[in-house]
Amino acid sequence: MADTPVAKTTDIAPGRTLRVVVDGTEVLLCNVDGTLYAIEDVCTHDGAPLDQGELEACRIVCPRHGAEFDVRTGEVLKLPAVMPLPTYSVRIEGDDVYVDL
Amino acid sequence: MATQLKSVPLGAEYEHGFHDPENYVFQSGKGLTREIVANISELKNEPGWMRDFRLKALDIFLSKPMPWWGDTQRLAEIDFDNIQYFVRASDRAEKNWDDVPEDIKKTFDKLGIPEAERKFLSGVSAQYESEVVYHSIRKDLEELGVIFCDMDTAVREYPEIVKKYFSTVIPPGDNKFAALNSAVWSGGSFAYVPAGVEVKTPLQAYFRINSENMGQFERTLLIAEPGAKFHYTEGCTAPKFSSSSLHSAVVELIAQEGSTIRYTTIQNWYKNIFNLVTKRAVAYKNATVEWVDGNLGSRLTMKYPAIYLMGEGARGTVLSMAVGGEDQHQDAGAKVIHAAPNTTSVITNKSLSAHGGKTTYRGLVEIMPGAVGARTHVKCDAIIMDEDSSSDTKPTMKVHEQRSTVEHEASVSKISEEQLFYAMSRGLSEGDARALIVNGFFDFFVKELPMEYAVELNRLIKMEMEGSVG
Repeated sequence: MADTPVAKTTDIAPGRTLRVVVDGTEVLLCNVDGTLYAIEDVCTHDGAPLDQGELEACRIVCPRHGAEFDVRTGEVLKLPAVMPLPTYSVRIEGDDVYVDL
Repeated sequence: MATQLKSVPLGAEYEHGFHDPENYVFQSGKGLTREIVANISELKNEPGWMRDFRLKALDIFLSKPMPWWGDTQRLAEIDFDNIQYFVRASDRAEKNWDDVPEDIKKTFDKLGIPEAERKFLSGVSAQYESEVVYHSIRKDLEELGVIFCDMDTAVREYPEIVKKYFSTVIPPGDNKFAALNSAVWSGGSFAYVPAGVEVKTPLQAYFRINSENMGQFERTLLIAEPGAKFHYTEGCTAPKFSSSSLHSAVVELIAQEGSTIRYTTIQNWYKNIFNLVTKRAVAYKNATVEWVDGNLGSRLTMKYPAIYLMGEGARGTVLSMAVGGEDQHQDAGAKVIHAAPNTTSVITNKSLSAHGGKTTYRGLVEIMPGAVGARTHVKCDAIIMDEDSSSDTKPTMKVHEQRSTVEHEASVSKISEEQLFYAMSRGLSEGDARALIVNGFFDFFVKELPMEYAVELNRLIKMEMEGSVG
């Protein structure tokens, strides 16, 4: 269990993302209609960071080649990626956000 | 080399270099703006989602840099502001051959389409400039639920199927030219074969660029439902022009569980055309996808038909051949991604460079973690005909799963003196002996083609070979 908060809930508005580094892992926090999800911020296709990509509802689009993932499950929704994204559990205490790797 | 080979300019006697007078109903003007993209969508009476898709793709196109790899020197010659992105040659798609305008009909007559159709083809849709002007499909296929039409018609008449699959295999963000195609696409083929239906004769389309500085951006989407089986063929011949034309297609194939799609194409562009095409197929459980891909002509071709093997037991085959003639660069190859267990693939690529031409094989095979039992065999051979010509082989293998089998073999050679000597000792002239050996070299490919394509391809190879002994 992580004991250091990585962000405040107020840092991430619905439909927005925030890139944080947790114990050396690049994590992207995604706010889907008020619920926070955490995915690894590295596209499984070509290693591009996803934080520059667009978040449309629960889909994130990789800016480099257009691959799409479901941020809730990490599942691939569109090629050219074929491997799912690692996802992490998010804990909220007060307005502090914790990510458990 | 024992013999110094003479280079013969192809344009002088290029038999597909005929050129009809331009007589268009609508031309978009040169350059690319939001207005032009919106205009194309409006002229086609498209639904809002397609218009939005085009505009978004335009933004992606404008924001993406040109490729930093490949023949960047030639790519830099493309002047995007000097290209006409949409031309409509006839007001509407005609179904009856008699109603097709006379000069367009002449073009197709020269290409031999009506004859081909009369004989055995199940469907013809020929693209002249940007829009399909003629299309027909056999009644018995229609009764089985097979849909085969041009892409514009599909967007209007089968919106639910198109919306479900369109751009799911190749997103606009995939590369700069896929984004360009997504913004300005026009024409192309759409085929949908329902579950369990086998189409025994090939579905056929023909593409041709006629207008100078005309971009041709066809969009093809082929879908095989579970257990369906069909063969789609297309060919391209383009007349000659003095300034560069851009051809940038996007082709998406979706092979559902247990289905088979074979896609055969021969491209014979005139040597000032840039042919930058994105072709990708996805094969699910026990499905088979076969690309049969012949590349002749063009100034620069960059084309790597891809197969994503996403379900257990899926199979992929890529057979390709390329002839790089004078002042041409054929940068072609194949890509197979093994993303499921027990998937198999075979890539066979052969190329010939002559008269100072250049060929490149650029390929990727990737075995993903967990693709246990995946097997692949890659073979690429090149013949270099003379000292001015060259060939590169750039195969990439990424293996993330140890329990898989990956084989690769490659060869680069000139025509063997021994073979030549043997053939000539049987009474053949040196020229005939060379042609015979080259025909044999490409036989693996030609024998997979429907008859009229095989005849045409043999003729084209012979044209490239003619005068090659000085």
